[in-house]
Amino acid sequence: MKPTTHSIVRFSGLQRVEHLAVMLTFIALAITGFPQKFFDHRWAQITVGWLGGVDSARFVHRAAGLMFAALLAAHILRLVAEVALGKASLSMIPTKQDFADAVQTLRYYFGATEKPARFDRYDYRQKFEYWGLLLGSGIVVGTGLVLLSPILTARLLPGEVIPAAYLAHSQEGLMAFLVVIVWHIYNAHLSPDVFPFDTSIFSGRISAERMRHEHPLEYERLQPAEAERERTVA
Amino acid sequence: MCLPVVVTLLLFATQGTPAAPPVHNDTCLACHSGSGISIRTRDGVDVPLQVGIDALARSVHAKVACADCHTAMAEVPHPERTFSSRRDLRLALDAQCRRCHFANYTKTLDSVHQQAVARGDRTAPVCVDCHGSHDVKRAAVPRAAVSQTCASCHEGIATAYARSVHGRALTQGNADVPVCTDCHRTHDIGGPRQAEWELRTPELCGSCHSNAAIMGKYGLSTKVLSTYLTDFHGKTAALRSKQGTTTTGGVVARCTDCHGVHDIQKADDTASPALQANLLKTCRQCHADATANFPSAWLSHYEPSITKAPLVYAVKVGYAVLIPFMIGGLGLQILLHLWRLMANR
Repeated sequence: MKPTTHSIVRFSGLQRVEHLAVMLTFIALAITGFPQKFFDHRWAQITVGWLGGVDSARFVHRAAGLMFAALLAAHILRLVAEVALGKASLSMIPTKQDFADAVQTLRYYFGATEKPARFDRYDYRQKFEYWGLLLGSGIVVGTGLVLLSPILTARLLPGEVIPAAYLAHSQEGLMAFLVVIVWHIYNAHLSPDVFPFDTSIFSGRISAERMRHEHPLEYERLQPAEAERERTVA
Repeated sequence: MCLPVVVTLLLFATQGTPAAPPVHNDTCLACHSGSGISIRTRDGVDVPLQVGIDALARSVHAKVACADCHTAMAEVPHPERTFSSRRDLRLALDAQCRRCHFANYTKTLDSVHQQAVARGDRTAPVCVDCHGSHDVKRAAVPRAAVSQTCASCHEGIATAYARSVHGRALTQGNADVPVCTDCHRTHDIGGPRQAEWELRTPELCGSCHSNAAIMGKYGLSTKVLSTYLTDFHGKTAALRSKQGTTTTGGVVARCTDCHGVHDIQKADDTASPALQANLLKTCRQCHADATANFPSAWLSHYEPSITKAPLVYAVKVGYAVLIPFMIGGLGLQILLHLWRLMANR
């Protein structure tokens, strides 16, 4: 019997909208932020000129930053509400199994084992990226608010917090950007597993075949009958 | 390629034209060395036309013929001319300098002084007001002469400058400190309120204060410009001056806003607005509601270190380790993944 090739819903509408909004604000923040960080490079000066000057670039950066902060706040509030209502999904919580999976994956890459780790809904790399994004967002939003209101900050905290926040904001932004360029772009576009484009976060759907391959534990949980049938056929 | 040719032609056109029959200076001085000769301007003032022979002999123009400058006076008796005032007479002769000093004369056309002349301000200085006429000397010998020249009109500023760390050193014969023209330029003197001028300030101060050879003599840091530029104010100033569009925002603090302009003092002088004890007041010029902690947000031109700004230093070191570790680790995992996929084929 031929294995099923239908697609399965992986992301809710809300999750897809959240990803799109974060993606667009992230791009806006990078375009208006990095020319400020690298102000002494010609490309940065040209970009700032193209944005209508450093003051309008900053206006856009601050507007996008507040939007980003609102997205972060909404996401956290949603998580808190879900936990309070007992509806929280535990699929993003790191577990011991994730560390075991990471070790097994490295062993598999080095050829020490022929069995790749079998993942559930989110593999350890996806959890790492999610928590990295959440924590990094906390840092850029927190330091961004400090930079937006230095007078208020100095009223409550030592003045040195302001230049520390300035440096942390720009370095955290750089790290986030590099992680996205190197890691996220690889996993969502360039990896031979998904090349040229993993559309699931936009369409919300993943093919059963990819799910069987990348998230076998979840597949077996959601489609026990199909999984069982395939096993017997195999 | 075209411009130098044109300029050269113009130079020759002005300099090379022989003054018709050369009139010997003795001819002129036969009348103009005495005290009895004068011209009455229309405002009823008698302007003496006596030339100080000694001053002329000591001037850099000692060997220049009278008629080289007074071109219209080559004929004797002179053609009759009337002037409304003594000042009018002086202004009428101004363009004569161009015949030899073409480049510098052209530069003055861009100056704030010439703009005032063009507006009809007859008090604005022309060549001879700064350089002298028959007693014309080298303008910057000694260097302190420059400040004295400017002081003849800009008295208040000159007094403030004379009391500044730069001005005091100048009177002691120090050749490292800036005189007026080092910052304001010489012939193409810019208006200090022009946006272009404001944006140039860090570069201007930095041209000496980043120079290790000069700063080393006085034990001053050469990092003042680079530390300013990595701060929010400095980045703003740098981007505004190089973004290629007209500036939109308000004023951003530059060197002179915290250190003073003409009355600039050492940063540890009690009169300096940049002294730690005066800093809050200085910050409040722009940040009206700043409180006691606010000035320490500025690291006083220090690079962050364990002793100066340990928190900023910790952030700096933390990310210097974290970023390569993170990106290197993720990059390695990508390479291992690709390697395994190749091996599987």
